[in-house]
Amino acid sequence: MRPAWSEQFDATLLAPVPRALPDAVSREWAWGGATGAGIDVAIIDSGIDGAHPLVGGVDSAVAFHFDPDADDQVAAETGPHDDLFGHGTACAGIIRRVAPQCRLHSLRVLGERLTGKGLVFAAALRWAIEHRMHVVNMSLSTGKSDYYAIFHELADLAYFNRVMLVCAVNNVPGPTYPSEYATVFSVAAHERKDPYGFDVNPVPPVEFGAPGIEVEVAWSNGRTITSTGNSFAAPHLAGLIALVLSKHPELTPSDMKAVLRAIADNSR
Amino acid sequence: MTETTLADLAALATMAGPAFAPPESARLLDAIVVTAKELFGAAACSIGLLTEDESEIVFTTATGAGADDFVGTRISSGTGIAGWVVSTGQPMDLSGLRADQRFARDVAEQSGYVPDEILAVPVATDERVLGVLEVLDRDVARVDSERDMRLLTLFANQAALAIQAADVFAHLGRSLLDAAARVSPGVQIANVIVPTPRNGSAGDLAEIASLLSELRDAGPRERALAVKVLRDVLDYTRGRDRRRR
Repeated sequence: MRPAWSEQFDATLLAPVPRALPDAVSREWAWGGATGAGIDVAIIDSGIDGAHPLVGGVDSAVAFHFDPDADDQVAAETGPHDDLFGHGTACAGIIRRVAPQCRLHSLRVLGERLTGKGLVFAAALRWAIEHRMHVVNMSLSTGKSDYYAIFHELADLAYFNRVMLVCAVNNVPGPTYPSEYATVFSVAAHERKDPYGFDVNPVPPVEFGAPGIEVEVAWSNGRTITSTGNSFAAPHLAGLIALVLSKHPELTPSDMKAVLRAIADNSR
Repeated sequence: MTETTLADLAALATMAGPAFAPPESARLLDAIVVTAKELFGAAACSIGLLTEDESEIVFTTATGAGADDFVGTRISSGTGIAGWVVSTGQPMDLSGLRADQRFARDVAEQSGYVPDEILAVPVATDERVLGVLEVLDRDVARVDSERDMRLLTLFANQAALAIQAADVFAHLGRSLLDAAARVSPGVQIANVIVPTPRNGSAGDLAEIASLLSELRDAGPRERALAVKVLRDVLDYTRGRDRRRR
């Protein structure tokens, strides 16, 4: 089964892209010997089960929830929390597999109540930027146009602070924020399973394709399941970005896009 | 009709709630799950709707394996597959569930049947998520099954339209009846509609209708101006929506 946008990464349809950088910028140059060590990766999702064997612990956890009496109507609680759905644990397991020594930070925005969830999501993203996370994985988005400007401001703030925002696009057609913005790394699923394999789409807005169709992922309570969604493509790319950053911490988001374009599976 | 009778009627309308929905809406939801189950070659199909305070999902419509016992089941909107779908507005597809008995049991509690595979999509309008549409153990060997997520979303969109139409009808009907109970000679009905979080649009529409009726007494130039203003507002709104898309 194919989520929306994934058809663009069909092997028969995907055009090769010119690599644009010298051959010296290879996968060996980008991540040879890298482990993700020293890189902080925030996962904005349903929480992370740090005890899951495929996750191997989290370095910090903050749960955000809607509170009409709090500043900006969002309260944040620092400390261990559960994953109420399993989805955040799935994303964490994928990132850990690709970048085994990165530091994982769970920013939980889902699983308590639905009220004010756009505000809660935005508050978590602001927290990630202010705390200088190197990479932020967002396998969720909002389609509400009320949040267009808020997320645009945050995406720009992240870009100027060298925080790399990796966003899954919607699984069904329709606008979503912040995955549509030019400064983020927007990702859809392709059919291949190689965790280090990814494509660059020469026809934006979705710029990257990574594994996300019938992939085996970690889930809550130590389980693993098979699932499909652009949700699982994003953490593959987030893991790869963490890997590259751990070897080349000087790269900016635009540098990173150029490097990824040069070493993508469909780069020629 | 006397004031007392109208007041009684308004109170009845408020209590009756969903009974004021067009009777076709429940039948349409039934038809949607039956058609989806057949089309996907699935074991079961169901629709769960968020409660007013969005804390729970109530399964109102189901067909196939386990359906009889499942209708009326309430689950928390803060957990599980259905909870994820209504929280994020994103579809979810999970398979290989029977390999993990604990998982299968959890899913069974949310679906009335122990499936090996589940595809769940949001039932949503542009404004908000109303619930979830689930298909259990569909035939994935069907031609074109790779488009199932998108196809099931089209069914969910139909369900959303049916629910939305019933919702608007129920709230508009209740608001107008409530206002009718309190209207007196010389008072416009739009002025006695009590705004509530759910009838905001109904109140607006009634006010627009009331204003338009006043244009009867205006001259042709004023009426032409009113038409132009309304058209400009609609053109602006349509253009804004297009830009947002």
